[in-house]
Amino acid sequence: MSDAGLPTRSRPLKQRNIFGNKGRFGPNMTPMVDVVLVILIFFMAATTIVGQEWFLAADLPEQQDESNASSGFDLPTPMVDVELFVEDDRVMARGLGVDVLDLDDAITRIQGMDPTLSDGLILRIGASDDVPYGSIVAIHDAGNAKKMRVAIR
Amino acid sequence: MMRRRSILNDEGTSSRVNVTPMIDVVMVLIVFYLLVGQLATDRRARIALPSSATGIEETQRTDPIVIGVTIDGTRSLNGDAIELDRLEAQVSGMLARSPGTPVRVRADKDTPHRFVRPVFNVLRDMGVGKVELVTEQRP
Repeated sequence: MSDAGLPTRSRPLKQRNIFGNKGRFGPNMTPMVDVVLVILIFFMAATTIVGQEWFLAADLPEQQDESNASSGFDLPTPMVDVELFVEDDRVMARGLGVDVLDLDDAITRIQGMDPTLSDGLILRIGASDDVPYGSIVAIHDAGNAKKMRVAIR
Repeated sequence: MMRRRSILNDEGTSSRVNVTPMIDVVMVLIVFYLLVGQLATDRRARIALPSSATGIEETQRTDPIVIGVTIDGTRSLNGDAIELDRLEAQVSGMLARSPGTPVRVRADKDTPHRFVRPVFNVLRDMGVGKVELVTEQRP
């Protein structure tokens, strides 16, 4: 008991900062470490997700003169031609056994080909001047998925 | 009553985990990623690659010859701008020094074919029968 008759406490009710004022020099680094780690993880994830590149292999066949085509016992190479062109600001395709069809329909048509027929088939892509390169790659990609060998004229 | 453990050891110095080396390492990593990202952006020269669901991943150890074509038809060879009429001489020189070096074309997905076709024609005329079209992996 204290002199005033109040009970004394051996320890305070509220626990004080265990570090007190002793042993702490400089600013608290914990928030900065948190932020820095988040930034690091962001950059690592961004590097992984974005910018993963690969490539599609394409043949660049010599332009053949039809009149000089070999004759005799050579078997003709199984080949399918696709000619891309732009009409009314839309990329269209000619070939694949159809006169004219939309680019997406052409891709769908390639994707729907029988794998036993498409495997090893040469897909020869031609394009007019204003066809975006991405459309050529899209057709190439569809042919590649069906194990076709792709050539660009 | 248990005696509260002090963060200070007997000599009066802090016994907390020292995070300074970790901060140093993490900072270095961040600077590394920033620099690599900046260099990669510069090298790719504003080319939005087309995406593809199929493709061949990089396995070669030799550095390929990379021909870039931007949407406005600007062409580059290994990151340096080049005119079409100089492309053949430069690429043939590279191939003469390192035969069999793969040739890659990095063209923007919206580049009209009239800017890409001359590159294919130059390669074809040089006897390069195969070319690799760089695409971005479609998730």
